[in-house]
Amino acid sequence: MPSSNPLPPKENALFKRILKCYEHKQYKNGLKFAKQILSNPKFTEHGETLAMKGLTLNCLGRKEEAYEYVRRGLRNDLKSHVCWHVYGLLQRSDKKYDEAIKCYRNALKWEKDNIQILRDLSLLQIQMRDLEGYRDTRYQLLMLRPTQRASWIGYAMSFHLLEDYKNAISICETFLNQQQVNTPNNFDYEQSELLLYQNMVIRESGDLKEALKHLENNQNQIVDKLTLKETLGELHLNLKQYIKAAKCYEDLIVRNPENTNYFKKLIIAKQITKSEDIVKFYKEYSEKYPRAMPPKRQPLTYASGEQFKTLVDQYMRKAFSKGVPPLFVDLRSLYGDKSKVEIIEELCLGYVESLKVRGKYSESTNNGPKEPASALLWVYYYLAQHYDYLELTEKALSYEDAAIEHTPTLIELYVTKGRIHKHAGDPQEAYKWLDEAQQLDTADRYINSKCSKYMLRANRVKEAEDTCSKFTREGISPMDNLNEMQCMWFQTECALAYQRLGKYGEALKKCHEVDRHFSEIIEDQFDFHTYCLRKMTLRSYVGLLRLEDVLRGHPFYFKSAKCAIEVYLHLFDEPLKDERTEQELNTGKRYYFLYFVMVMAIKGN
Amino acid sequence: MTRANIELGNVTPHNIKQLKQLNSVVFPVSYNDKFYKDVLEAGELAKLAYYNDIVVGAVCCRIDTSEKSRRLYIMTLGCLYPYRRLGIGTLMVQHVLKYVEQDANFDSIFLHVQVNNEGAIDFYKKFGFEVVETKEHYYKRIEPADAHVLQKTLRKNRQTNGTI
Repeated sequence: MPSSNPLPPKENALFKRILKCYEHKQYKNGLKFAKQILSNPKFTEHGETLAMKGLTLNCLGRKEEAYEYVRRGLRNDLKSHVCWHVYGLLQRSDKKYDEAIKCYRNALKWEKDNIQILRDLSLLQIQMRDLEGYRDTRYQLLMLRPTQRASWIGYAMSFHLLEDYKNAISICETFLNQQQVNTPNNFDYEQSELLLYQNMVIRESGDLKEALKHLENNQNQIVDKLTLKETLGELHLNLKQYIKAAKCYEDLIVRNPENTNYFKKLIIAKQITKSEDIVKFYKEYSEKYPRAMPPKRQPLTYASGEQFKTLVDQYMRKAFSKGVPPLFVDLRSLYGDKSKVEIIEELCLGYVESLKVRGKYSESTNNGPKEPASALLWVYYYLAQHYDYLELTEKALSYEDAAIEHTPTLIELYVTKGRIHKHAGDPQEAYKWLDEAQQLDTADRYINSKCSKYMLRANRVKEAEDTCSKFTREGISPMDNLNEMQCMWFQTECALAYQRLGKYGEALKKCHEVDRHFSEIIEDQFDFHTYCLRKMTLRSYVGLLRLEDVLRGHPFYFKSAKCAIEVYLHLFDEPLKDERTEQELNTGKRYYFLYFVMVMAIKGN
Repeated sequence: MTRANIELGNVTPHNIKQLKQLNSVVFPVSYNDKFYKDVLEAGELAKLAYYNDIVVGAVCCRIDTSEKSRRLYIMTLGCLYPYRRLGIGTLMVQHVLKYVEQDANFDSIFLHVQVNNEGAIDFYKKFGFEVVETKEHYYKRIEPADAHVLQKTLRKNRQTNGTI
């Protein structure tokens, strides 16, 4: 450990103990050993010891002193990589990543092959998306530790992220070639993940033929059979190898006949394009898989006229008998077609008449037992939502009331009644019905949250908070707990309620809480940089990095940023006069409106 | 038709409002807070009946120790109108009969019914209940105000069981 001021053996041993204490989080002991060195008149200004003392103090939460000691240490020993490294760590703990990177670079000037510093530097570089820097650091790490798996993976990934696919693929290849090939019976999950990652890179390079070849050659070693099959299907399809693609999707449907996507892909593979043929296709599959939903639901999208009527009739009868609350949500996507809406309406009105009189869906079904007593209820419930969608509020409410009269204990009815009022533009009436629903089952978290949201829409923040408190931790204020849990649907709606109420300070507070959550999510990425390379979850890791890159495009962020910008602009145009309100606003901030507006807008990009 | 699923469930502080809602539409009498407070303590003596996962009926009983005997009193037993004659009431009565059988220490089960409620009277007769008494002006706010007492005897009165 070259230092401009090396310690004699006894003190050096003490210094090593400081390092050990730091690693083992025995900060108090660390400080003791530091004191022993520094109390020796010869070493009161020993740079590295001062720096370590500072770092230890930082861990004890004494940040100001920490900076003081670390800086003093560094001044006394500018050529020590330890001092620079420590300064970097301190800045990193303070989230000043740019500064930390500079420190690490300085540290490397004096000790260019220090693995620990290089690793720390690489983490910061990937966190800051300094991809070129990351690549160079990963190269050095590979050179220093060519036997370690993570060295190779990290280096390959750096090229992948730079979209230099050729190098990324060949580094994976070189590494894989050095590995001993396992016998096919020996399940090696990490090897399998690595191969799937390599395949992902090949696909992204655009060379689908090569990707297919790679996947086929390595299928025995890939243990994630589902991903293997899905990827094979996708590749065959994109390469227009339709027969092979069809085989893949047939197999996948056997595995899981509830996956709508498999059916859609199979139709492409079978090159079926005409609507009537698609309906026929689904008919075959619904006979083959009588319990599967997609072959029943999908044809409704493609059929029309009489055929649609027959199919939707069957589909709805079954759902009404069984009691499927989200039936309307399921069928809503058909409502783009007016003729389908008419057919559905006509059928449902027919059901009502017939069920009322005879307990059956139609006059013509003479034989067989009656339908369940709840069938009529579900038809009423459906019609209420149907008319609500068509913006016929009166009619919607009349069916909702008929349903409530039929079965006043069904909670969904009150939720829908509230929703109809919301759609009609009456948030006050809406929240009352949601509150009613919530009281009928106070253990239902979904309805509790919905109710609270409706209360916020009605500008009743206090009530909303009280409602949420049924599910937040006891002994702490619900608002604080919701913030702690990053409950952003609440916080964004709450911000908007405060904005409507003219409580601008409170609104901004909520907006900034949301902004902080996003910073925190980006911050939380840090731990994954080491974890994922170690655990070989490379595909998900790349997915995570890409998600974090566009994180602030999330609707929660957008809503909060928009709210904050509107409030800031409003306050800029019409500054508050009343001193007391001003106080609530943390007045100091007022002069930085535009600054905040800009920050919000930039982050949003 | 798909077979309907009927089952019984507990009354809890979370769903007690459903019981209130149900009773308010099924019975002409309204019950006070004390009634619902006791129901929460009643365990197996208060049950909700579910039809395809919807609450459509409920039964609430208490143990009556007046008149030197130990009797089970059915305070309420009812089902929403569209769900009658589907076996829900039967399921609830059977639950109560099973309860007294397992306990094996009841003299009888009894309840009050408005004198004109023939449907209910026939229903209980099926299970071995008999009209043993008619109380005039039993109900305060509804017409007719008279009530039959329906009773099912489980064992002979203790007094006749005794020494003399």
